[in-house]
Amino acid sequence: MRDIMIGAVFLILTIILYILSKKLYSMFPNPFTLPIVTVSVLLVVLLFYTPISYDTYMIGGQWINFFLGPLVVALALPLYRQRALIKKYAKVIIIGISFGSIVGILSGVVLTILLRFDTTIIHTMASKSVTTPVALSITKAVDGNISLAAVFVMIAGLAGAMLGPILLKLAKVTHPVAQGIGIGTASHAIGTAKVLEKSELAGAVSALSMTITAIIVSILAPAILHVLG
Amino acid sequence: MKKVIKIVLQISVLFLFFYIGEWIQSSLSLIIPGSIIGMLLFLILLLTGIIPEKFIKDGLDLLLKDMPLFFIPVTVGIVNLLHVFAGKGLLMLGIALISTIIVIYTTGLLTQKIMGKEE
Repeated sequence: MRDIMIGAVFLILTIILYILSKKLYSMFPNPFTLPIVTVSVLLVVLLFYTPISYDTYMIGGQWINFFLGPLVVALALPLYRQRALIKKYAKVIIIGISFGSIVGILSGVVLTILLRFDTTIIHTMASKSVTTPVALSITKAVDGNISLAAVFVMIAGLAGAMLGPILLKLAKVTHPVAQGIGIGTASHAIGTAKVLEKSELAGAVSALSMTITAIIVSILAPAILHVLG
Repeated sequence: MKKVIKIVLQISVLFLFFYIGEWIQSSLSLIIPGSIIGMLLFLILLLTGIIPEKFIKDGLDLLLKDMPLFFIPVTVGIVNLLHVFAGKGLLMLGIALISTIIVIYTTGLLTQKIMGKEE
């Protein structure tokens, strides 16, 4: 009974903070006011400065976690809706996403190996370009660290939202499809949200890229890690 | 009330596909996560029209609209990992950042070049 009460408190707290943070983001849209950033920082500060442990928080948090797998299943819907776009740009989308997925795994894994990190960290770095629920599934499968994976994924997402538009400008990437593939392949949902602000086509392609990247990385990451150790 | 029941049922479909995917993954010992297998199965049923979009769209759009909410509890897990980010740990964050920059720049550039040639 006590656990149910504690769980309910943290579940409701998380949801209320999330709703408030969405209001804040709509007033001040900025990579630093993204709801996942503001709410996570607030909760980390709360747990850090009070005797409440993460395990206690997770009595409520686990009810939210419970949806992570089914959420990946839900991504079939945007993919289904974009099927006309997939057909039209099929070739370039497949080449671009395959290239970006492999570069994403290799650049992260190779840099981690070069800087002599241990196997857990190397394995956790492999899935940082994909959307969180998928990254967590892959990280579990390759014996990485799940919480650390969520942090890497967030950095990949934020880097895309903050630096993506500047990088594409530097590279003279002007076509919305190319912009969507670049950011969606590297920075999943957070990057996609940013691209969508500017162009619906780029946003749709970014959503598609994030979905296909998730599939490619979930197949290739374990294989590449197996080869590179 | 009817709408709430409908949305609960639609979301239950996601759990059903997720558990089928997990079951396929564990019984065949596949490396692809069960959630992805579930998504592909679900996509096939949408594409073949066996599950019409309108049967499931309200519940799914509700979840997809607020996707970031579901990542929060996992992200808060860094509270147990703050010590990792001291010293050498900061390098890990740098790698994640640099790798992301490389992907956006090279992938965007490659795709733009291919499209430029075709048009």
